[in-house]
Order: sequence, then C-alpha cells, then structure tokens
Amino acid sequence: MLTYVVRRLLYGVLTFFGITIAIFVLVHSVPGDPLSFYIGSHGMGSLSHAALDEIRHEHHLDLPIVQQYGWWLRGIVTLDFGTSFIDHRPVTELIAEKLPSTFILNFVAFLVAALIGVPIGLWSATRSGRTSERASGVAFFLLYSLPSFWVALLLMDLFSVRFHVLPLFGMTSDNYLDLGLTSKLADRALHLILPVVTLAYAQMAIYARFSKSALTEVIRQDFITTARAKGATSAAVLWHHALRNALIPLITLLGLTLPYLVSGSVIVEEIFQWDGIGRLYFDAISQRDYPTILALSVATAVATLLASLLADILYALADPRIRLEGK
Amino acid sequence: MRSLRTAFALSLFLSLFLVAGCSKEQPLPQQPVVEDDSTPVDGGTVIRRLQADINTLNPLLIASKYDHYVAAYLFTPLLQLDANLLPTTAGSLTDKYEVSPDGKLYTFHLNPKATFSDGTPVRASDAVFSLKKIVDPKSESAEFAGWFEKLDAAGTKAVDDHTLVVAFTEARAPQLVSFNGVRVIPEHVYAKGDFKSAFGMSAVGSGPYRLVRRVPGKEILLERRSDYWGVAPHIQNVLFKIIGDDNTAWNALKRGDIDETIIGSDTWMNESRRPELQKTINFRRFYTLNYNYIGWSEHDALLADKRVRRALAMCVDMQSVIDGLYHGTARAMNGPFTPDQWSYNPEVPVIQFNPEGARQILNSMGWQDTDGDGILDKDHKPFSVEIIIAGGSPTSVAFTQLYQAELKKVGIDLKISPLDGGAFIQRLVSGNFQAAYASWDLDPDPDPNAIYHSSQFPPGGQNFVFYKNPAADALIDQGRHELDHTKRVAIYRQLHALLADDQPYTWTVQVSLKWALTKRIKNAKESKGWGFFFWYPGELDWWIPKSQQGR
Repeated sequence: MLTYVVRRLLYGVLTFFGITIAIFVLVHSVPGDPLSFYIGSHGMGSLSHAALDEIRHEHHLDLPIVQQYGWWLRGIVTLDFGTSFIDHRPVTELIAEKLPSTFILNFVAFLVAALIGVPIGLWSATRSGRTSERASGVAFFLLYSLPSFWVALLLMDLFSVRFHVLPLFGMTSDNYLDLGLTSKLADRALHLILPVVTLAYAQMAIYARFSKSALTEVIRQDFITTARAKGATSAAVLWHHALRNALIPLITLLGLTLPYLVSGSVIVEEIFQWDGIGRLYFDAISQRDYPTILALSVATAVATLLASLLADILYALADPRIRLEGK
Repeated sequence: MRSLRTAFALSLFLSLFLVAGCSKEQPLPQQPVVEDDSTPVDGGTVIRRLQADINTLNPLLIASKYDHYVAAYLFTPLLQLDANLLPTTAGSLTDKYEVSPDGKLYTFHLNPKATFSDGTPVRASDAVFSLKKIVDPKSESAEFAGWFEKLDAAGTKAVDDHTLVVAFTEARAPQLVSFNGVRVIPEHVYAKGDFKSAFGMSAVGSGPYRLVRRVPGKEILLERRSDYWGVAPHIQNVLFKIIGDDNTAWNALKRGDIDETIIGSDTWMNESRRPELQKTINFRRFYTLNYNYIGWSEHDALLADKRVRRALAMCVDMQSVIDGLYHGTARAMNGPFTPDQWSYNPEVPVIQFNPEGARQILNSMGWQDTDGDGILDKDHKPFSVEIIIAGGSPTSVAFTQLYQAELKKVGIDLKISPLDGGAFIQRLVSGNFQAAYASWDLDPDPDPNAIYHSSQFPPGGQNFVFYKNPAADALIDQGRHELDHTKRVAIYRQLHALLADDQPYTWTVQVSLKWALTKRIKNAKESKGWGFFFWYPGELDWWIPKSQQGR
C-alpha cells in the first residue's frame, strides 16, 4: 500500500511540472499581452514609454520565455506567485481572499446535490422501469437541460424582485458588520440559497443518473441473483451486497468532483456577484494577468492531482482486490 | 397511488415556472415620490454601482473609470473641469493660477484652508511630491506620466507652503487640462511603503469624503468629512456596490438596492416607457466623448488612396444603423471631433450614403468586375478587405454585417474577423490589420496628436492606421502650441475639415449612454461630454429629500 502511494505521489510531481510548462506556454502564446491591454484601455493621450518599459521589465516580459518560466519557477519554490498586473496585490493574497467564498458555495452545493441526488438515484435503481422512476428520470433530464444563467435569472426574479423573500445578490447584506454572530450566519445562509440551488440542480441530476446506473450494473450481476437464490432478504441484498459494490464507481466520481470545489463557476459567480475564484480566473484570462492565471492553474492542478490520489486510495480501501494487486 | 402522487408532485414543481412567467409584477416597495426638489437638504446615503472592483485607491495610479469614480470623492485635483469640460478653480485646491506668457511656467496659489482627511494642511510640497511621483517611471503610471512628459522637474518647486510653480520644457496648450489629473496626495503618508501596492485599501486625500471601509469584491463605503474645508456636499454617505452583471444591476435598481446604473439599449427600449417604472426611476440619455469608427490602414496598398477610403465611407448606411441598430439613440459623426467639443466644425457635411457614387469612383480608378463574379477586380486581384472586430460585442457584429451587405452590392468583398478581446487589442494597437472597427474615449482636450500625427506610428504611438499628411501634422502641431484659445478653435476647425476629407478613419456614429437613476436622487446634471461624473460639481452636488433618506 505504501509503495503504491509513494509511486503515485512521484508521478504526481512529474505531472505537475508538465502541467505548469504546458499552461505557461499556452498562456504566453495566446495573442494579446498585459501591456497591450493597458494600452488599449487607456485614452488617447500619449503614454509614457519609460513607464511602459518599467512595467515590462518588472514582470519580466522583456525576457525570452524560457527565462520567464525560470523566474516564475524560482518564485513558486518559495510559494511566491508574484503580484497581479491588474492591482499589484500578491496573487496568494487574492486567492486566499476569494477561495473560501468559492469553496463554501461549491461545498454546500455539492452536499445538497449529493444528499438529494444519490439517494434518489439509488432508489430509482430499485424501481427500475416503473412509472415513478421514469417520471423522476424525465424530471432530472429536464432539470439538467435548463441553462444555469436562465435558471439563475428566473430564481432571482421570482424570489427576490417579485417576492422579496431572498436577497438578490452578494454573499452578505449591507448591514452585515452590524449583526450579531447568529444573525451573521443566518445572513450568509440566506445569501447562499439561490446560488446553491443554481449550482446544485444540474449536479443533482448527474449524481442521480450516475448512482442509478452504478447500482443497476451491480444488481444485474450473477452474485446478486445467487444471494437472492440463497434466500437473503431484499434489504440485505441491497445493503450488504449491492451497495458496497456500487460505492466504488461512486467514490471515483465524488473524488474526481473534488477539484471542482476549488474552481468556481464563472456564470453563477458573475450573476450573483459572488466574489470567488471563478470570476478571478475569468477576469485574469481576459486581461492576460499571467501571474494570477498561472497560480490558479497550479492550484487547480494540485487539487486535481491530490483528489485523484485520494480517490485511488479510497478505491483501494473499498476494494480489496485493488489493494492486493497494487503490491 | 404512487405514480399519481409523483405526477402531482412533478406538475406542482413545473407549475412554479409557469407562475414565475405569468404573474404580474408587484409594485415597487418604495414610498411615493414627494416632489420637493427645490431646496437641497443634507444627509442620506447614495448607493452607486461599480461594474467591476477598483484596482487601487491610489489616485495617481488610476487605471479604470471605477478607480476614478471613487477617487472623485476622496481626492481633490489642482484644477477641476466645469460642465463644459473647461478648466476651473471652483472645487479645486487652487484659489488662482497664472500661466507665463511663454506658456512654460504655471503658478498655482493653493487654498490655505485645504486639509487632508487626517487633519494635516495641504502644502505645495505635497503637490510637488505628487507630480514627481506621477513622472517617476517606477510608479508605472503610464497615462498620467504621458500628460506630463514635458515636465521640467528641476524648475518645479514649492515657493512657499501655498505657492506651487510647475515648469515645462515645452509650452503646450493641452497642458492646462492635464492638471485635472493631479490629485494631490500627502507626502507624509504616501512616501512610505511600496507606492504601487500599499494604497489599495486606504486613502488619505483632501476630498470632501473619507474612506470608511473597502471590502474587496463587495463594496466601498465613504462618509462626508465633518472637517471639510470647501463647499460641503449634501449627501452624507456614498456606498459603492460592485455588481458585474447588468441584469442583476437592473434588478437591484428596481428593488431600490442601488440608486443608479448604466443600462443597455435593450433595457432602455423595453423598460423606459413603462409607467410603473417611470414613477420611481429617471431614465436619462446623453452623449459622451466617445465615438465608433472604422480605421483604414494606410500601409495597405488598397486603402492607401484616399479616394478608395471615401468610396468605402459612402457605402455606410448611417441612417439604417441609427434607426435599426440603435433605435434612434445614436447620431452621425462628420469627422474627428464630436458636436460637444469646442473644436467641432459644424460645416463639414456628413458623408451621404451613396453606393452608386462609390461604384463610380472605383470604376474611374480602374476597378471593374471583369470576371462577372460580382466582385470588382483590378490586375486580376479582387477588391477584398478584412475588417477585425471585437467578437464579443453584438453591435460590432451587427454593424459590420450590415456594412458587408451594402458593400457586396457595390462589388466589394468585406471579410469580417471577430477576435477575442486580447487578440483584437493586440492587432489593433500594433497596426496589424487592413480595417478595424473600434471606438475611442476622448480626452477633454481635443488635441489629436496621439492618433493622427505621423510621428505616432506603432509601436511607440497610437496612430495605428499609419496616417501621414504633412498638412495635418502642421495643423496638429500648431493646435498643440497655440496658447490663444480663439486661434486654437480656428486651427482645429481647419483640421476637422482636412481629416474629414482624408478619411484616415470613417467616423460612424456616437452612441448615447443610457442611465437609470432612482427618483430620490436630486440634482443629477449632465456635463458636455462626461455625463454625470468627474466634472465639478457633478456628483458632489446631488442630494436626497428628507423623506427618502431612510437608509
């Protein structure tokens, strides 16, 4: 088991460097650099060349790309991801400020989607073919096809503009700082409702569908028929035999979803003015803010690598066959 | 039965969407408007919208208009601009100023009562510090530094605590207006720390408001200074809310969560005439110093001849664009200056839509359709032009498609290349295009040296159409150095006519900005080219009636 983990970690490190090189090259190859943005967004007065050269020099844009990569690498070894071209704030500070918001939103959405989607999926596997199951299948399919920005606008219009039940946007109210602790929590919870629903309804459909097919796969297998033939009750068949086996692909799915917790949905964050990583990433890409783009890509790469490692470990724990083979 | 129950639940769920679509909109939960807009009163909080978070609170590093919105309340410049965008001392740090006869020396007599928000007096040495910081390359303040590229640092000094002398190596007429960008900062605060990054969350300025707090990504709260030394504004607090999405902002305005927002043409068309909205919202429309244009690259053999450019200009169906694309909320340009600018020449005619005339011009130059494919050709080369546009702009796409259809009828093949923002700017700014559809936001001073002078080709300058006409260069240079305003007007009127004749750009339309304000905001006046903001007194003169100050 240990050698398995160590081997996976080493591969992970190699993959990590490969990812950083690929992203670095890609980002610098896209037409448009931060400087042309600066020039394009300023009026038509003459711009000072000395200042523009200084900007270029400070961010090593006047060096060949290999050297730029070298500078960047040197920085991240000390966890210094540089400063943003846009507002000169350290990138780590920007990320630390915005990551928690995205994480909370995505985590709550994930919980809601999983806690509703997975049980319904499992239930519908046991009721396969009946009207209720078909109806729920259709309902989820419909849900999944609705575009998220439309749903968001609809929810906002209904619950916020027409009936002032929920806040329209943002993470907190105007008077947030004056509230007591429980009121603060309540305020945050209220603000979470609409964005969470917008994120979760489609994810729910995915989890439901996936768990249903996972369980259905298992139920079809011979050993289930054998268990039934041996006289095990329906409940025992389900809980002791089928479910544990169905968990394996489910764990893989959940494990691979973990990186999405740290990458935000640009659409939801934009509409609800949720100050998170999604918008940061999008704005950074639009304005070619290289340090921020690279830092976020690194964060996502690391999260993905760790998550897939975690998924593999859990997988190995759940399925003894994998564990023994891995030796 | 189970299936019936599920079906019932399902239909209940789906009917929610129907309810949302069909129910009548509730009336807005606001107090009826009391029509007492005669005597301004103090107090209240105005809630403004920022479309994006600010980059910095350091006024000398302003990089976007959002930075500018906030800085206008916190800092005071050496000179303000009035409603006609002409320099004025009203509301500024200066009591009076003199310009030497040779135009190279500016003397400012500062208001001795002026103080910063930490109580310290504003001194001429602070102004010198501010100017030096602007021109220091390490500040990376490329735009402001560009306005002061002729600053003579040795001759710029504080004669005494309230007298400032600013010297230049060259006398330029637009120099006076550039002092509107010198928002004086206190040396004892801003000399410490990293100038570029240390002042994103704090601000010490001489403006009528002080910073209460900034929550990145959410809001910025300002409150009126009780110790303000000048004419105090009426409104007590200014709250800036960051709302990136236009739909969300419009909804927020309707709910009363914000007091003002820019609105798009669609919202204007669909919503501004609804009576229930007109009860609580003021819809305003005005022109700014902004226009759309097609840039023709004179590096291209095809477009180097001005007759070709004129023929192409004659194929723009301006009226269809104004009526069809902008529903009448735009106006045609006749040349490089807008009707709000004092340099504007009203006698230059707008180029009429005349495709037949265009065809004749091209025929006379040897362009004929010899191979019957519908496209004009000469020496076996078809008349084909590639125009780059910012692909993310629906109006750019619509305009160029309309234009393409008209050009096709004349026998010109227009290829439209929509590019992503970064790619578009890259090609535009480096002059790497045949034709480009873009827009300019102009400075208050009309000097167009940066975009039409032959010394300003890329990569050093912004004349990215590579326009070169010694007569235009001469007029531009003259206009820049003529210190007598009446003579300047005459020079620019001549330049207007010359450029309109040469067509380095085909100036198309000015699109008006549309704004929505809640009716509780009183005294929101527009300037001649800058809308409600940045001019003096502008937003500093707004007030809210007592009955509506609820927040």
